[in-house]
Amino acid sequence: MRSIWAIAVNTLRQALRLKIAAVFIVLLLVLLATMGFKMTGDGTLKGREQAFVSYGLSLTALLLALLTIFVGAYSLTSDVKDRQVYTVLTKPIRRFQFVLGKLVGVVLLDAVLIMLFSTVIYAITVSMPRLVDADDEQLAQVRNEFFTARASLTPAEPDVSAEVDQTYEDMLRAGDVPAGVDENPVARRNYKNELTKRISLRKRAALVNGELEWEFHNVKPLDPNQNLYVRFKYDVALNPYDLQIYSRWIIGDLRQLRLAQIPNTPIYSVERKDLIRTSHEFEIPGDAVADDGYLGLAFLNVGLNDTVVIFPPEDGLEVLYKADTFTANFIRAVLLVFIRLVFLAALAVFSGTFLSFPVAILLCLAVFTMANMSGFISESFEFLGETVNKVYYYSLKPLISLLPQFDQISPSKFLIPGRLLKWSLLGKLGFFTICLKAVPLLLLSMLIFTYREIAKVII
Amino acid sequence: MEYAIETFSLTKTFSDLWGRNRVLAVDNLDLRVHVSEVFGLLGPNGSGKTTTLKMLLGLLHPTKGKALVLGGDATDPHINSRIGFLPEESYLYRYLNARETLDFYGRLFKLPARIRKLRSEALLDMVGLKAVANRPVGTFSKGMARRIGLAQALINDPDLLILDEPTTGLDPIGTRQIKDLILELAGRGKTILLCSHLLADVEDVCDRIAILYGGKIQTEGKVDDLLRHTDKTEITTSRLSNATVEKIKQLLAGERAECTISVPVTRLETFFLNTVAAAQQQAVQTSGAESKTHISDFLAAKPDEQARRAALLEQLVSGESSSEQQESIRTETVKPKPASESAPDEDLLERLTKQSASAELKPAGTQPAEDSKAQSTITPREDILDELTGRTKGDNQEAPGAEQGDSANA
Repeated sequence: MRSIWAIAVNTLRQALRLKIAAVFIVLLLVLLATMGFKMTGDGTLKGREQAFVSYGLSLTALLLALLTIFVGAYSLTSDVKDRQVYTVLTKPIRRFQFVLGKLVGVVLLDAVLIMLFSTVIYAITVSMPRLVDADDEQLAQVRNEFFTARASLTPAEPDVSAEVDQTYEDMLRAGDVPAGVDENPVARRNYKNELTKRISLRKRAALVNGELEWEFHNVKPLDPNQNLYVRFKYDVALNPYDLQIYSRWIIGDLRQLRLAQIPNTPIYSVERKDLIRTSHEFEIPGDAVADDGYLGLAFLNVGLNDTVVIFPPEDGLEVLYKADTFTANFIRAVLLVFIRLVFLAALAVFSGTFLSFPVAILLCLAVFTMANMSGFISESFEFLGETVNKVYYYSLKPLISLLPQFDQISPSKFLIPGRLLKWSLLGKLGFFTICLKAVPLLLLSMLIFTYREIAKVII
Repeated sequence: MEYAIETFSLTKTFSDLWGRNRVLAVDNLDLRVHVSEVFGLLGPNGSGKTTTLKMLLGLLHPTKGKALVLGGDATDPHINSRIGFLPEESYLYRYLNARETLDFYGRLFKLPARIRKLRSEALLDMVGLKAVANRPVGTFSKGMARRIGLAQALINDPDLLILDEPTTGLDPIGTRQIKDLILELAGRGKTILLCSHLLADVEDVCDRIAILYGGKIQTEGKVDDLLRHTDKTEITTSRLSNATVEKIKQLLAGERAECTISVPVTRLETFFLNTVAAAQQQAVQTSGAESKTHISDFLAAKPDEQARRAALLEQLVSGESSSEQQESIRTETVKPKPASESAPDEDLLERLTKQSASAELKPAGTQPAEDSKAQSTITPREDILDELTGRTKGDNQEAPGAEQGDSANA
């Protein structure tokens, strides 16, 4: 353990004394300070905060990722190339300890730097409302919508597959399915996909004078006296002349209405008129939630509208409530970045155990880039998979799923809308990224390095 | 354990990625190095010396055969904690300073902080880098890097010291010092494997040598046996008059022996050492390594240990279990010793410089000066023989006196 620590400290010294880290540190500090004072976002205080936090944290994550890759790969490859390993590995230290020491050193560097930079970002973010002259309305907006960690509830996508099958059978019997579709498996699948889309759209649409209902369970606000926020967006079949939709919302424990009880908890009714295709938010008191965490919402498409109202699948409807503080959420967002850096450090050390410096860097950057666009990659391969299904399924798909998916969950996604990043989500991500991806990489690098012929000259 | 190093048909071939261009670097090498001997591995460039060392240390995998170091595998921490290794060049972390370098290697041996500090300072002092201990090693000259490389090899007070070309890049003082160190360590019962193509180095210190060529041992044996000319006799005397020379010639003619008579010439090494010693006495500043001439306390043997050492050697040679004995030596030397006890490790070079310092003061060419030079050419050999046979006690006791006398002169 002591020798691992000695290697780790030496790696840290290397990064600091060879001024590799210094370049990144100075660059980041200058950029963060500039961003803090120059970025205005959409002009409001909230926009400014959002722009600073998201760009500041993304920039820190990017530069630290590059630094990690660079230091991790350099530290090991330079020791082999400049042959310091000759004197180190002939000392009483196992080779796996040497590899582990290198990794610990890089992770230590990351931990120190991310603590430094996140403190800077946090300090600037928190003090920004005092430095900028903003009116009370803006301050309240920032307090309610930015300096918070709101849990978000979205309606679950209803499972319509049984209904699709049923409809398909009915249509087949009635002879409504086009000729040739049922015989061809690909055409049949495509046709069913069309049906699925149509039926699930029907579930999200409110006819004129019609109603849509949603139910949520396990709603647990941090403080029951705080307000809930309903966030929604309309799509329409036919544009109204002023692009506005009239609506009536009924919110509360809707079970009480059905059972015709005397209500225990209040049921609120909200009447609104909103622009279509943009997100809107309104508040309701927190006591609308039933004691068992139940919350029901009903949307009435008022007859004035004369059009079908559709809620888009991604951001059609959301219920938000404050579940934690901004500080705690910020810390978790920083940890999210740190988890990635740990993976990158393991990747860099791994590639350094058998590649030369330039090749190791190239490999790491390639993986890093792919991890940043994993969504795009897997989507495009899914598409390709239509034709080369089996080959794709057994060769590329497992490889792609080995990549970490940096683009799927980014810290900005939580901090910009002040959304709760749950410990459970962070833990799951940490487990997948570190235990299932970084640790195997580390074990593999230990194995490679243990059996590698160190003194062999490779040209 | 009879042998400190033993190899069985050790073979290494190098080939490219496709298995072509096979080079046979080491060919069925059976090397045996006894415990407590100084073994020299000689050979021209590319004869497989360094490859052999790397295989011994586990840095290269043998194509065939096996190497045992201290009775086991050199990659085993229990074994390599007793090995000191100086590679062919001192591969150091350039951004660490000399003191941090030694501390780092000390940490790898899991030495406690106090002992690490003690030993680092002692070694820095010994290799003459104390004044530049806070400079990054990257700024060192080759010779200075070599010195710090040597210090790192000694930080664990090793039982087996493997030195690959230890004297490359070193000035003659450093070279001399390394040789003295080797002799001192050998006297303490350490095993030393020396790899070099500088024959003078090997000749001065090695008990046994093997000459490697084409990855094979061409000759192996004791240095004295290999180099002794049994058919010649050499006589060195003070300057003789022409008449005496004639008499000797006549005498030898009666013996029917051929003879050549000449005035000996000083070896350049001795001359160089004298010059530097004179400059040191005038306290000339240097930015490089200072030439210190004593050996660190924890490495040097105590005078009263000489007898014990002899007994130990006896035991080792007779093949009894020795690991416990060696262990006890190691732990004992760790304790700091009073300064007075460390004085006896005054060495060869010190005496050399003192003797010739007086010669330097007189104009060259006069009779007495030549006398002293003539003597000084013999001195090193005698001393080495003394050291080899273990008769260092008498010399050691007389040395501090000489030092005092000289400092009084200066």
